[in-house]
Amino acid sequence: MSDAPTVARDGPSDTTSLWAGTLTLGRNGVAVARRAVTKGAGYRSYEVHQRMRVRQSTEKLNPLRLVSPDFARDPYPAFEILRENYPCYRDWIGNAYWITRYDDVTSVFTDEANFESRSKLWFYGAEGFGRDLRSEAPVIVAQARGMDRHAADVAQTVIDSFAGAGRADLALDFAARYPLELLARILDLPAGDFDAFAAHWFAMQRGWDWDPRAERDGLQAMGAMADQLRPLLEARRVTPGEDLISAIASLDLEGGPATAEDLVTTLLEADHETLHGGLANLWQLLLTHPDQLHRVAADRRLVKFAWLETLRHSAPLLSARRFARQEVERFGLLIPEGALVICVGAAGNRDPRIFSEPDRFHVERKDLCPREPRGQYRADGLPAGIALGLGKPTKYPAVPEDRPRSIYALTRDVAVTASNVLLDRLGDIRLAPGVAPSPRSLRLGEMHACWSLPALFTAR
Amino acid sequence: MTTACPFAQTLERMTSETAEPVRSAADFPLMPVGQACDMGHAPDGTPLLDPRIFDSREFFRNPYPYYRIMRDHYPVFRDKLHNCYYVTRYEDITRCYFDDEGFNTIPKGSSSGVLGNTQLELSGVEHKRRRNLYGQHLVGQSLEARIPIIERLADSWITSWDQMAKEGKVVRDEGGKRTVEIGKAFANEFPISVVCGVLGFPDEARGQFYYWYNSMMSGLGGSETQKMGLEARQDLEDYVQGMVDERRVRPTYLYDRDGKIVGKDIISKLCETKIDGDYLSTEEITSNIALVVGGGGETTRGAIMNMWYLLLQHSDQATTVLGDESHWDKVFHETLRHSTPIGGQPRHNSFDLLMHGQHVPAGSLMNMVDVSANHDDRIFKDPERFDVFRPDLYSGKLLRSGYSSDGRHSHMAFGVGPHLCPGAWIAHQEATIGSKVLSRRMKNPRIRVDLMPKDIDGVSLAPVGLGAARELWLEYDLV
Repeated sequence: MSDAPTVARDGPSDTTSLWAGTLTLGRNGVAVARRAVTKGAGYRSYEVHQRMRVRQSTEKLNPLRLVSPDFARDPYPAFEILRENYPCYRDWIGNAYWITRYDDVTSVFTDEANFESRSKLWFYGAEGFGRDLRSEAPVIVAQARGMDRHAADVAQTVIDSFAGAGRADLALDFAARYPLELLARILDLPAGDFDAFAAHWFAMQRGWDWDPRAERDGLQAMGAMADQLRPLLEARRVTPGEDLISAIASLDLEGGPATAEDLVTTLLEADHETLHGGLANLWQLLLTHPDQLHRVAADRRLVKFAWLETLRHSAPLLSARRFARQEVERFGLLIPEGALVICVGAAGNRDPRIFSEPDRFHVERKDLCPREPRGQYRADGLPAGIALGLGKPTKYPAVPEDRPRSIYALTRDVAVTASNVLLDRLGDIRLAPGVAPSPRSLRLGEMHACWSLPALFTAR
Repeated sequence: MTTACPFAQTLERMTSETAEPVRSAADFPLMPVGQACDMGHAPDGTPLLDPRIFDSREFFRNPYPYYRIMRDHYPVFRDKLHNCYYVTRYEDITRCYFDDEGFNTIPKGSSSGVLGNTQLELSGVEHKRRRNLYGQHLVGQSLEARIPIIERLADSWITSWDQMAKEGKVVRDEGGKRTVEIGKAFANEFPISVVCGVLGFPDEARGQFYYWYNSMMSGLGGSETQKMGLEARQDLEDYVQGMVDERRVRPTYLYDRDGKIVGKDIISKLCETKIDGDYLSTEEITSNIALVVGGGGETTRGAIMNMWYLLLQHSDQATTVLGDESHWDKVFHETLRHSTPIGGQPRHNSFDLLMHGQHVPAGSLMNMVDVSANHDDRIFKDPERFDVFRPDLYSGKLLRSGYSSDGRHSHMAFGVGPHLCPGAWIAHQEATIGSKVLSRRMKNPRIRVDLMPKDIDGVSLAPVGLGAARELWLEYDLV
């Protein structure tokens, strides 16, 4: 047992406890040195321990429901029970605290001092794999430039592939395909590499959570993607273009030039759900609410509001995980150091304390802030929907013209552009008869998005 | 690099219904005992463990092959679904249990809600002081003084079977033979009545206690029965509070068979105990009474049930044991090793640590799996075999926590180190004395296989799995 457990103590090794160094008389009158007590999570006074009372029991929701197939299909009934009864739900099965009210969720997101997020690489248990370069200025610039330049023409190309047929599955042919085609263009990937890249991409993005098979496939995919991108990275170090790979290749980094693993890590940590799931859910909602679709088609300024309302009503990323940096008393409970806090943005987005008729999809909603769906602030005194997964705000504010917009605004603009192209190209777009599309998570904990949306149209 | 299939096929594979054959914990197949179901393999051939298995029926009845995978391949298994880590090897667990500072017991475990603020969730000095207050009543001379009471209680339970036989439900007489469901007729309530006796509760409160204890046990873990558990705990507390108030003024005593005073009962003693010059608060007393009621019941019940269930399935060993009462200590220890009623204890690491290559951030939940330690073949040879006369298990009359020499090791069912179960000694006495009394009163006992729950093949007896046998039908000859 020589290799276990090696205890690495970080933080201040504070031995100022009152026992340190004191001597007491032992049984035979021999002086006994008391063991110095290190200040750690385990040493607290008896009185701070919380005890559950009858009124705090959580019998209205069995924690097993939160890992059930029903929950993966439609989590909103469970979210409502949580939000209306247990604003900070102690989940004994998942060993977590669920936060579901709008104000509570946003308060945790903004509380960086008490709650930390952890990277997808940490969840993979592969922290040494590569560096996340998303916050490097040239990377932000290259990404923003790529999204702006290619959003419309990639949408045209994707729609070209199915427009002639008069019918398509918008969830797969459009919403799933478009973000990846756009990314491939931003990376300036050779056309022949796309299919392999896409397969690696999905395996990589689906692998970091709880499923060990998906984790195995994801780690394999990350290695394969690094092998695939390495020649491109090396070539563009010599002859850079304007694409994202070139921007990463020519970064001047402290720990040496960027490797293919750094590139893959940067792609891994980037959000992948919002554009894909947001487009799928936007069109699912529009096609199932034809009156709203007509209004949006007639007044294109509404496309942006439809997008924001979609992220509020059917957020593709339901929740984000935070870990308590230290013991903190919040929401009437003592949340211990290291505790997992699941912030359910999707439940907050349907909080009746904030939004009137929260379950209704309404593109001209008057009580939704039309700015970035951050939830952290309320421009104009209006609440914004909470959209997760787009990472921390950049250190470059969105306001001055010469600086890149935030990834929230970029994603929104791309989604609006693509949807406008779709509306231009496909006339009389409607749901195929006899289908009732709804969002679902393919696997527990994954993106909650529409995965099947057969539609009919007349190509223009 | 894998061959690339077109984009549409990638999506099709992802979204098809057959992509996920196991949709939930209920979908795991029930396997023959000792075999793990296939959950995939890593590229190097290491078996993978789907964490949903821990919520499945399959795992509950057949846990050992999965724990073996963990011990052999993932000594610190990271479960991202349940946000915890499992420590499964005997030596690792021993080391963690003894490191009270590095592996603390702050109340993130599921018992805190129902049992209240108990010493289970204290560490260091606070824990030591309180533990000694209660623990001293359950060991040594205090315990010796209670042995006659235990024996008398067991005897009177069995005598009451004659009365129960008239109802014909859990005790049935037929053709000179008597059939008894040991759980309902003895093991469920006998430990509770011992606890009541030790605590000095009146006999008539026993039924109420049994209900409270049941509710509290089923309320652990925060399911929909949690409210019942919390209510039971509140009621128990109110009841004990009245009793404490009374005994602060007028202490009560325990008597032996001849009516001589043995000593004060635990509550009366606690009422006059001081910490730092202050009397214990009623809250402190009641929480730990709740723990004694909860802990003193379930484990001992499980031990008695499993002892008889396992022993009678091994008839050669049963013949030897029933012929010589001195073997019951061995039966007790081997049963607790082979089928441990309490699965393990939660700990939280106070510091970031690296253990067997697994990084664990400070404050994580680390489950110390006692059940797995007891089946660690680094310690116990052929661990799935039930062998009362096993040479590598310490099974003496006295419990020896963390004993490890001459190739013999103590089992982990009571844990080791500062949190070693303080009720271990009294549980040992209850289970062995109870079993001795049973063996004296039952002639030629055997399992009524036809009345017992069966395994998946429909023929063999159901395995104990995690926890303890829920019912046990025995038949013996009336003389």
